Amino acid sequence: MNRIYNILFLFGMVMLVNVSCLDLEEDTSSLLQVGQIASEADIEANISPIYISVRRTNNDPHFLRTATYGADDITTWIAGNKAPLRVFDRFDYGSGENSDINWLPVAWDNYWRTIYYCNTLIEGLKTATASEALVKLADAEARVFRAHAYLNLVKIYGNVPLILDGYLPTGEEQRATVLENYQQIESDLLIAEVSLPTPGSESTGRASAGFAKTVLADLYLTWAGWPVKDNSKYAMAAAKAKEVIDYNHYTLLPIEELWTFEGAMSTETVFSVRYPADESRWGSQGTAFTFHQGRGFSDCFPELRFFNDFPEGPRKDYTFLLDIPNRNAPGGVITPRNPPTIPWEDSDRGHPMYRKYVFAEDLTVISRPVNFRPYDLYRYAEVLLIYAEAQARVGENASSIEALNQVKRRAAGLPYSVPNATVDVATATPNEIVDEKGWELAAENKRWFDLVRTERVAEMAAKRDPSEPVTLVRMPTSAQYIAPIPFESISLSKLVQNPEGFKIQ
Amino acid sequence: MKQQLNARIKRTVFSGIMLFAVFVLYGQNPVQGTVTSASDGAPIPGVNVIIKGTAQGTATDFDGNFTINASPDNVLVFSFLGYKTLEQTVGNQTTMTIVLEEDAAALDEVVVVGYGTARRSDLTGALTSVSSRDFDKQPLNDVSQALQGRAAGVQVTQTSGAPGGNFKIRIRGANSITGSNEPLYVIDGQFASINTINVNDIQSMEVLKDASSTAIYGTRGANGVILITTKTGRSGKPKFDVDLFTGISNITQKLDLMNAAEFAEGVNFSDGTEVFTAQEIADLRANGGEDWQELLFQTAHFNNIQLSASGGSDAVDYYISGNYYDAGGTVVDHQMFRRLNLRTNLNAKLSDKIKVGLNFNVGQTKATGIRADLGVGLSFDPTTPAFDDNGDYNFNSIKNLATSQTNPLVAAENNVRRNINDRISINGNFNWDILDNLVFNTSGGLVKTDIHNNAYAPLISSGSGRADVDNIYRTNLYNTNRLTYTPDIGEDHSLKIDAIHELVIDRSNSVFITATDFFTDLVTYKDLSAANVQTVANNESKRELESFLGRVNYAFMNKYLLTASFRADGSSVFQKDKWGYFPSGSLAWKISEEDFLKNNETLNNLKLRLSYGEVGNQGINVFGTRSRAVLGLAVNYPFDGTDVTGVAPSNRISNPDLTWEKTKQINIGLDLGLFNSVVDLSFDYYKKNTTDLLLDTQLPPFVGPTNKFVNAGEVENKGFEITLDARILQNDKWNVTSTLSITGNKNKVLSLNDDVQFLVVGDVIRANTFPVNPTRVEVGLPISSFRGYVFEGVYQLGEETEAAQFNKAPGDAKYRDVNGDGLITTDDIVTVGDGNPDFIWGWNWDISYKNWNLNFLLTGSQGNDIYNLQRGRLMALGAQQFHAVHGDYRNRWTSTNPSNIPSGRDGTEILSSQFIEDGSYMTMKNIALSYNVDPDVLDKFGLDGLRLYASAENLFILTDYTGFDPEATASVSNEDADIGIDYNTYPINRSFTFGINVKF
Repeated sequence: MNRIYNILFLFGMVMLVNVSCLDLEEDTSSLLQVGQIASEADIEANISPIYISVRRTNNDPHFLRTATYGADDITTWIAGNKAPLRVFDRFDYGSGENSDINWLPVAWDNYWRTIYYCNTLIEGLKTATASEALVKLADAEARVFRAHAYLNLVKIYGNVPLILDGYLPTGEEQRATVLENYQQIESDLLIAEVSLPTPGSESTGRASAGFAKTVLADLYLTWAGWPVKDNSKYAMAAAKAKEVIDYNHYTLLPIEELWTFEGAMSTETVFSVRYPADESRWGSQGTAFTFHQGRGFSDCFPELRFFNDFPEGPRKDYTFLLDIPNRNAPGGVITPRNPPTIPWEDSDRGHPMYRKYVFAEDLTVISRPVNFRPYDLYRYAEVLLIYAEAQARVGENASSIEALNQVKRRAAGLPYSVPNATVDVATATPNEIVDEKGWELAAENKRWFDLVRTERVAEMAAKRDPSEPVTLVRMPTSAQYIAPIPFESISLSKLVQNPEGFKIQ
Repeated sequence: MKQQLNARIKRTVFSGIMLFAVFVLYGQNPVQGTVTSASDGAPIPGVNVIIKGTAQGTATDFDGNFTINASPDNVLVFSFLGYKTLEQTVGNQTTMTIVLEEDAAALDEVVVVGYGTARRSDLTGALTSVSSRDFDKQPLNDVSQALQGRAAGVQVTQTSGAPGGNFKIRIRGANSITGSNEPLYVIDGQFASINTINVNDIQSMEVLKDASSTAIYGTRGANGVILITTKTGRSGKPKFDVDLFTGISNITQKLDLMNAAEFAEGVNFSDGTEVFTAQEIADLRANGGEDWQELLFQTAHFNNIQLSASGGSDAVDYYISGNYYDAGGTVVDHQMFRRLNLRTNLNAKLSDKIKVGLNFNVGQTKATGIRADLGVGLSFDPTTPAFDDNGDYNFNSIKNLATSQTNPLVAAENNVRRNINDRISINGNFNWDILDNLVFNTSGGLVKTDIHNNAYAPLISSGSGRADVDNIYRTNLYNTNRLTYTPDIGEDHSLKIDAIHELVIDRSNSVFITATDFFTDLVTYKDLSAANVQTVANNESKRELESFLGRVNYAFMNKYLLTASFRADGSSVFQKDKWGYFPSGSLAWKISEEDFLKNNETLNNLKLRLSYGEVGNQGINVFGTRSRAVLGLAVNYPFDGTDVTGVAPSNRISNPDLTWEKTKQINIGLDLGLFNSVVDLSFDYYKKNTTDLLLDTQLPPFVGPTNKFVNAGEVENKGFEITLDARILQNDKWNVTSTLSITGNKNKVLSLNDDVQFLVVGDVIRANTFPVNPTRVEVGLPISSFRGYVFEGVYQLGEETEAAQFNKAPGDAKYRDVNGDGLITTDDIVTVGDGNPDFIWGWNWDISYKNWNLNFLLTGSQGNDIYNLQRGRLMALGAQQFHAVHGDYRNRWTSTNPSNIPSGRDGTEILSSQFIEDGSYMTMKNIALSYNVDPDVLDKFGLDGLRLYASAENLFILTDYTGFDPEATASVSNEDADIGIDYNTYPINRSFTFGINVKF
């Protein structure tokens, strides 16, 4: 029997040895909990990624603008890898087709990431222990960027789901209506404009109340046009833009200073995203807007008709580049070729280039032209033109005409605040102001949305230069006003694709 | 000669002592003898010689000689592993000559099973053995090569021809969609990576396939288990074995790409302008342009040296080996792979009851240089020479054609990489026979891996200089305690009970440093302070697993066998449900032991096996269930020029409820031996159902976080395995054997989360390359199903109206409007192919004639599709490509050439059936011819063996596939959801080897 006891004892020993030696718990001390926002330092750390996300969104203009190539201020290369851009340049969409092309999801994914970061901060702030003033400020900052992202999504893709702070994914998400989206954007901005600092008193590089009011003015202008067409919003757009003007903080820079590095951190800047001084990050505007001949990617250049119609003057000289850089990069270093420039007619793309995005280019970092110049989301000229147009819609007045004339004077290389009979107009139709805005903000990712809300896409398409290499597959109608929702989001959710899923109100 | 002399002296002294001893002790008549092998007449050392019915015995010495004291009526029993046991009465003999026949049936062979050993004839589960005998005639440098084609149910795929080898091993298909499907490797009882072992040290490998064999490994057994046993010394004189081989490799074939003049014509066509003048094209036609494939591929050399010494005494045995292997790459440029390995296996008998063993293995691999980016290289502009007239790089295409990427030679020829991987594994065991029927065994060990990856991209290739320094330190500790009890419960019954407790702890510490903006190339990664910007990331993780196991083996009348096991595993990676319980059971019936078959001449073995078991998969990473905040340079923002530290929310939703993936498997097997095992057939049918799949699901981007790990759904794998062994001819001169293995596996997704019909996983391929994932996981289909539009050719002249309906024109691609809504939208994307083969096979032949031996292995795969996206890219599709370079573009559609190769600029889809190809193939994987020098000749030089051999790997491939080769492309990544996609694969090589093996 002893033997059996011994055996049992040994079995027991084997089974029990080290039983409690492992606790099988993960050591989570190295993990930073998400959404744990309490102190001032936590808040600051959670704001940074929002700005990063906004910068990333605007870093690669060719990707961001994929769905806006229907505008008359931009076109693209007829060959190469630009087929996704040509889909929109040619209006080859509108019934759900081409939702699965490259680069279409870039704007979608980027804006939604910004919204996610903003939502996380807004939710975390609800239990933060930092000072009330700081919590309110951070909340306002998150709301202005959330609103800005939503506004762009709705402009590009139509109505989108409302994903707000505290939201947990269910898989049952549906698209809200355009009107519901607008109302949400408005409510965020109305909070933000109150809590954000007045322009000039914000910390360097941060959002101000001027930015919130500008986005709000942009929202009202959009709200008043297609698709909701609530004309009562014109007056609100004008009033909000006027509030920005009345800060008396913003100015127009002399045209020769506008596209310098400093020009995007000046009093003309309403809000711009910044690159670090150590040059560890940069923007690709220069690459996208330069032809291959100049070491760029030939993504984006002006349509011939738009270029030809553009009024002559200093602004045109600073907007377009007619002598196309001719470069190569032996050993990875950008070097001029002989001749160093080629007239645009003889260049590899047979078009002028946009000068505004290569004016402050840097040719020394990599073998492509890059930018460290901050990128403007809004500049004061746009505020003036929003005011001029919105006021003109409800009845122009001296101050709205003055706003338009200030832009025209600067464009002519004149002091903008001094009346000048050679350029000043006494009256202007809304469409004339929209066209002035098109020229002033050419290729700044505004023209397409102006044409859509004013329903003038077909008018411009009809005027397309017949020698333009990219030819249209159809004359655009309102079916082309919004882009298809990127396929990935359609396939992974219950969202309904455009046009069936497009619901205005 | 000296050694032989020494050996003779030792032998004489040894024999003398033995003789003296037996005279003193017993006074019986000494009987002397020699034991030799029937097949080659060579003496067999270590044969057990026992007087039947007693415990008295001895073993043959190193020359096969034995001496034993026995009376004339004694019966001597001669037994040795792999040979038939022979009994012989002593009679009046004083000198006995014993010839042992090899036991072809190998039924009594002892094989390694999970936590123990078993006689092959007693197995109840599905197990395939690969012995070093099966592959030692072929020069190998990787374990995977030894397994490929030789084990039914095991799919070994070479995923790349890069030096150092990249293989994917799957046992009975892939269970998991996003979890790991890698089998568990157990080397001499220790859990370790397959990369830690030198193939030449392997004695045998046992592949555990069914759940009754693998359930003993619980949460780590679901993907099958490969048990590797290394060589040990045998008592006898020291044996030295030297094996040297050297050879060359080249890629098996090149792609059909256009020459420079054809390419230039294509550019003029696609751009619609005269990019090249007629004169320029004529010049290119005369001068040829650049053949990038000629520049990208090169002949590579490889060398292997294996030295080993083994031997031992009754109390101690040893095996010591060293290995050196180096290989260059067939893709330019300075790639070199080098591996060093040193192994010592020691076993000692401390007493009759106590045995100890220590295995010690150290190794280092070094990989240097980076290879040219083939994706860029193949698609590069052939009108641009690699170098300009001054001998400097043409950095980009001169006319900015084909691709905007940089000359592929720039990085390959200038970037520096030095990856060093140091490994130490120590594994000790202690075995104590406490009682006759009770054994306690404890083993423990450490595997320590230090990975140092260093890279530098100089100013010329990166613009500003970039260095990466990664240091990763991993340790794996384990301890297994086992008690085995074999009570005597009567003659007709046998019972064995195992109880086991096990702990496994994995720790990892890593530091990743990236430095950019160097002012000089001189110091590279070795002094990062030369860089303006330095970023550091680190992490630390620990993973624990604790297990309790029990197993019962019971046999009745040696005919009816039962095995039952149970394992409980507790793992630290799951937050709530930490413990998993995994039972299994199996039955076997040795029909051939029944009276009605027992002495059947034809049928010497017939066994039926049936098993069921449940196993798990914990294939997620540490912290895999949690959401982790994102930190680092990517989220720091320079409000006033200087970065402020940021914290971004996780892209992953936490799932505290996450738990094991469970696989239930049923297996029915049949083993059949005919004509004294001249023909052995083994057949297995299995069905595996994996539930609670660990799915890393993608969420739609608009909800915020983009990923979540969930348990959901069910995948079924069912299939069959056939192994047919035949000894076709065996006589004095000839020995011909052949083994055929066929594996068929059908994989099907039975369900996914709730009512979801499909999921998108396997993001590896997509990553900014394709707007839509090329594969998806869909209910009712295999887990890798290719998605795309249905290509129906090109709109021809006369079809303008039909084409215009889809905004197309003649020359544009025509796709099927599957739903008939008059539009080509994503609703028309359907399943267009499947990367899983219907079956794979391997056929090994071993033919010996006198001193010659020919050994070859044919392998093949049938019924798998390949998504040739590489061809799509070379046809100018995808985001990176401007112009077509592929030979198919010569035959592009024009109004005068009404072909079915689209030439329109817009609306051609890369994800379409146009790029689906049949990936079936057959290849001569390895063929080796060797010559064994005659023993008579060897004796003069004091050698035991001398073999010269020449071999070829991938000598030929029969396939319709148009890419480099169908095998490497059968899995471009290790993601099983992406199987069968050809994109940027490194083609596998054809190698020729010459070698020599010396034994003394």
